[in-house]
Amino acid sequence: MKKGLCALIKKDFRLLLSSKFLLLAAGSLILYSSYINFVYINIEQENFSVYLYDPYHLQERTSSVKSVGSREELEEKCSDGNSVGIHISGKKPEIYMISSGIKSIDDYRTAYAISALSPGHPQKSLIVGGNSKEMKMRREITAEFLFFELSAVGFLGLAAMLFKEKQMGVVRVYGIMPVRKSSFILSKAGLFLVSDLVFAALLTLINLGFSAGVSVLPGVLVQAGILSLVMAFTGFICAVVLPGFRQFSMLYLVLAVFITTPVFLAGQTGITWEWIKFHPMYHMFKAMKDAYFHTSSVGYSYYITCGTAIILLFLFACRGLSCEMKREG
Amino acid sequence: MKGLRYQLKNIRRDKMCILTFLLPVIAGIAINLLTGLSLSSVSENTFGIVENNLDAETAQWLESIGNVTMYESKSDLEAAVIDPSTQMIGVLQNDNGIYTVRAGDELKMYAEMGDILPELYQERDKVRLYDRTIIPADNNEEFLKSLLIVITMVTAMFMGCTFNTMSIISEKEEGIVFVNEVLPMTHTQYIIQKIALGFLGAVMSTGITAVICIKTDGIQVLFLTLIIFLSSFIASLAGLFIGSLSGGLMTGIMYIKIVMIAFIAPPVLIFLAVPQGSILYNLSYILPSSAAFYGLMELLGGQQQRLMVNLIILLIHCILWFFLYAAVSVKPPEKIKRGRI
Repeated sequence: MKKGLCALIKKDFRLLLSSKFLLLAAGSLILYSSYINFVYINIEQENFSVYLYDPYHLQERTSSVKSVGSREELEEKCSDGNSVGIHISGKKPEIYMISSGIKSIDDYRTAYAISALSPGHPQKSLIVGGNSKEMKMRREITAEFLFFELSAVGFLGLAAMLFKEKQMGVVRVYGIMPVRKSSFILSKAGLFLVSDLVFAALLTLINLGFSAGVSVLPGVLVQAGILSLVMAFTGFICAVVLPGFRQFSMLYLVLAVFITTPVFLAGQTGITWEWIKFHPMYHMFKAMKDAYFHTSSVGYSYYITCGTAIILLFLFACRGLSCEMKREG
Repeated sequence: MKGLRYQLKNIRRDKMCILTFLLPVIAGIAINLLTGLSLSSVSENTFGIVENNLDAETAQWLESIGNVTMYESKSDLEAAVIDPSTQMIGVLQNDNGIYTVRAGDELKMYAEMGDILPELYQERDKVRLYDRTIIPADNNEEFLKSLLIVITMVTAMFMGCTFNTMSIISEKEEGIVFVNEVLPMTHTQYIIQKIALGFLGAVMSTGITAVICIKTDGIQVLFLTLIIFLSSFIASLAGLFIGSLSGGLMTGIMYIKIVMIAFIAPPVLIFLAVPQGSILYNLSYILPSSAAFYGLMELLGGQQQRLMVNLIILLIHCILWFFLYAAVSVKPPEKIKRGRI
């Protein structure tokens, strides 16, 4: 039994190597890390500018406003839809802006522009969080990429491998071999689990830095393991049930774009949708993100649900495999 | 023509494929149902307050400049402020007005907002001394919705690419490539047939999405149709490229993933972050999807200044890529033959 499992793992590992899977995972790692380090962390949202047209010099100049020479120039500067103009002409002063479409934002811009005229000293807010902007962005985007990559690659990698074996007729051979069906599935899922965990660890260490990376790693690896197993078994079931890889890849594209997008939107922008809590992936995404931020909002019920789901998926996969073997004769 | 009929007959049995082509349409309907309100709340400023802490007048003022959420205790408020998915600023009362609490990891704009809020509160009555001229922006509140619609449409076009890649790879894997070699069919006929399949699927899927989501008339319909046709053509051509480049299913999928990210992400990011006309913006036209994306965004925004430019760039892409593909794939792939033996 043990020998059989070892031989299976060895064979699956060779199949992994021959399909260039590891090479492609390394490629993804480089792609994601360069994006995070060279592009993402440099993103910044500057405050809008305030322009002042004050031909009679009635207003004291402050550093927060920029002076312009004519009313036309004022209107032109504000045409970006973001900047706010102030026109002081002796009569009632005027605020000029292009609406943002939302009244509260326009009101805020008005108040901000008026306060920019007075040389006040803004009080500093009380800072309660422990992250700098850069660290927050690093944690956030790494969690997202890891989630996307695990849900995509685990699902896809295992399925691609199984399709290959189906094509080669290996599944039929297994039907008569003295190897348990469960070891057939476990050897594959185990290999992908290990490769996913290595990927997760590398992605975390490269993008969060060593000390911050190591401190979140235990939590991240637990979540990565759960996600990897769930996706691997789901991929296995889909691969067994669907007739061809083409259908499978279409399904995959749908999963990648339409299932994960709402999860990202809800987890990322703070949009509140009531129905999102019925989306199983949403909870996994939240748990992954929490692991990166050292906060834990998931309780025992989450782990119990995940454990049950993994066992159920595994049983379904076993059943699917027996059906497939029967079909193959 | 006959060959194309056979190809169509072949996929007619493939219900899964047809369903997947229809999925962007379903996404389009879902986006259409989203009210402008649920989306606009995303871009609003968000403030958090604690129950019975702020007086009614202050809370009212705060509500006039943003979205206010009330929490039971100060620790709940702090947890919400720290939550990385929001840019929430906590507002609390003190002796001389209000003070603010923030996480310290905000984007610059929100950090400054937190710092300046007490001052804005002190000066809240000054607003009455000013006249306000607010020019209504056209369709601005619909912006996020347009963005989602265009992303869905670009994804729909991309379905054509995936479909073609998969069909070529499965032909390779099943050995149909060799059958094709002996069929009385020229290479050009083969390319045209293959492009036509993905192209038709992509046009259908994108077209229906457009009909559902975009309300437009007159000359704009013509522009929209042209953009859809040209970019679907490029997408299905890209599918052929990926298909002939990749050796197996796994590599094919990985290439699709990379091409998908490269096609969809840069136009969205550059469109949002880079001013029009800058070097980076112009450079992004190297990707055919950029021209399609910018063109569609412009159409949805009701503008047409650069539509022609985008269309011409798309057309140039079509011609260039088509000839490039024709040049690269003149001979039936020798490599596969050797690999098989």
